[in-house]
Amino acid sequence: MADLIQLMTNGLALGSVYALAAIGFVIVYSATGVVNFAAGQFVMVGTFAGVATLLNAGLPMPIGYAGALVAMALFGALFYLVVYLPLRASPIVTVIIGTVAIGITLQNAALLTFGSWPFRLPSPFEGMMIELAGAVVSVHALAVVVATAVMIGLLWLLLHRTVIGVAMRAVAQDVKAARLMGLRVQGLLAFSWILGAVMAGVAGLMLGPMWFADVNMGDPIALKAFAATVIGGFGSLPGAIAGGFFVGLAEVLGASYISSAYKDLIAFGVMILFLLVRPQGIFGEPIQDRG
Amino acid sequence: MSITRRTILSLAAGAAVGAATRPAFAAGEPIVVGAAIPTTGPLSLSGKQYFNTLTMAEEDINKAGGVNGRPFKLVVEDAGASNSTAVSAFVKLVQESKPSFVFLSSYSTQNLATAPEVIKAKIPVMYAGGADAVADNAGGWMFRIRPTDSVAARGMAQFVKTLKATKPGIMYIQNDFGQGGATAAAKLLEANGITPVGSEAYGQNDKDFSAQLLRLRQKGADVILTFVYPADGALLLRQIKTLGLKTPVIASSGSFLPASVQLLSPADLENVWGVIDTFVDPSVGARMADFTTRYKAKFGQDGDAYGLAYYDGALILAEGLKKVGPDPQKLRDFIAAQKSWEGIGQIYSFDDKGNGAPGVVVVKAKPGTKTLELVERIRPS
Repeated sequence: MADLIQLMTNGLALGSVYALAAIGFVIVYSATGVVNFAAGQFVMVGTFAGVATLLNAGLPMPIGYAGALVAMALFGALFYLVVYLPLRASPIVTVIIGTVAIGITLQNAALLTFGSWPFRLPSPFEGMMIELAGAVVSVHALAVVVATAVMIGLLWLLLHRTVIGVAMRAVAQDVKAARLMGLRVQGLLAFSWILGAVMAGVAGLMLGPMWFADVNMGDPIALKAFAATVIGGFGSLPGAIAGGFFVGLAEVLGASYISSAYKDLIAFGVMILFLLVRPQGIFGEPIQDRG
Repeated sequence: MSITRRTILSLAAGAAVGAATRPAFAAGEPIVVGAAIPTTGPLSLSGKQYFNTLTMAEEDINKAGGVNGRPFKLVVEDAGASNSTAVSAFVKLVQESKPSFVFLSSYSTQNLATAPEVIKAKIPVMYAGGADAVADNAGGWMFRIRPTDSVAARGMAQFVKTLKATKPGIMYIQNDFGQGGATAAAKLLEANGITPVGSEAYGQNDKDFSAQLLRLRQKGADVILTFVYPADGALLLRQIKTLGLKTPVIASSGSFLPASVQLLSPADLENVWGVIDTFVDPSVGARMADFTTRYKAKFGQDGDAYGLAYYDGALILAEGLKKVGPDPQKLRDFIAAQKSWEGIGQIYSFDDKGNGAPGVVVVKAKPGTKTLELVERIRPS
């Protein structure tokens, strides 16, 4: 029982990070139709924004976290201006390849700026453990789960209870209709990139103390977030959340109860199964129903 | 910031011999040495170290007069993080730069993939991947400057007995290095009458090891042997403490590189022993002190055992170039003939398979600190 609690906590914490990265994926995809293959590198940039503010600048944690998230918002806006806008009239494949290229560029820029040595990003709960039914559980891991739940709640409120959120959903559903209704579509698209970057930033800041800040951390996150998005349903926010938690738990529980050697096979095997049997994922709408 | 007398003497001796057997080079033409090593991507964590030490060796050799008066020129190609990139880097070097000699990476999978091209090119290379399989496919042209994984595994198995553990568990990265090391350790332990209670793998991109560690705990492991890469070695040690495990750990060299140790707290290193290539510490002697001081001054980081192996390798090569010239076959024969070449990190003695570093050392952090101390030297028979 103690082991199961430890595994569930770690699986949920891992799933939380995948869910946040997948949400960043989905927000951008829903609004712009772009599958952002640099999503994993967005999380890496978020972690290194934390390295810059907390370790390099030595700022106190609340200011450091806020500074890192502001930097991520600026990064999202810059990405919209420098990558998305110039490519928006190009075929979608060009835009997707553009995100892959930018992802590689971001990774190598981080390597040149921060070097190849990983960093240990501090946690507000550094070294804190609690005992639950005989299991030693990291407070940081629990905090990651709680913070993710809070972020999801705030995102729901933003999308369903604010004018800007409703406008974003309108743009996501039909850009032309939204424009005809007088919505400032470009501003809303830019906001989608900013929101996606901030979500990735939150994931990166929470991940740093768990995994170390490493310039190569983006790729594994992107792969798992992509699997989470496919399983949950491409374009579906609840799907991204469910998919993220599924992948996190499948990874940890699969390694423990089936085989550590095949744990990735479980997550990606399920993804392939979904692509074959239910390509719209758990929450996604069937393609013919769209529009 | 000075080069030690031993280094100068070895360079000067080589220069004197080389002057008598001057190769047929145009005056001032550099002797090109290639390096197909990872300078970007996940493997650059250690690749950058040997890039640094090879650059340092190039400078030192040229400051000491070069190779018989001619510059020693290092040409680097990025081996990246995949086998195909490593092979392409080697082929590009051979075709475009026509080097007399090439350094390969410290990753067995890349070394194995590149081996057929090395044999085809008939150019001697030095590499630092530990998998025994590399030497079996080396065709006489590949020289290993770090201990083999089986030597490290033998050292670890030997130290399990020192700790009086009877139920070891093994954790390894799922590739040629990890699987090879884990298999070798399991066989050696069984030969000593100790049966491992479990063997758990993780992928190169994995970041959560809780499932594997808890499985080893469930199986009653009283010591955990780890075959890991640097960053995941540090992460693994942290997660062992985060999960509240008190089990002693015997870790492979990756966990004790400076890049890994800087990520850990003294508490993370409690009850952890490292079976590593060599003890890189100024206390070892004047030449080591000179190397560590100059490396830190030049690159702002501590040098590690992997980088040191490449520095030593470059000095062996320089001596060979001076004594026999750049002819690949003669250079190969020179290196193969070295039986007790006194490097800074090891006394290199190349066997018939090209394995040159026969020993490992056991280190441990001093209590409450991250300062490593030498526990024992193991030169498995």
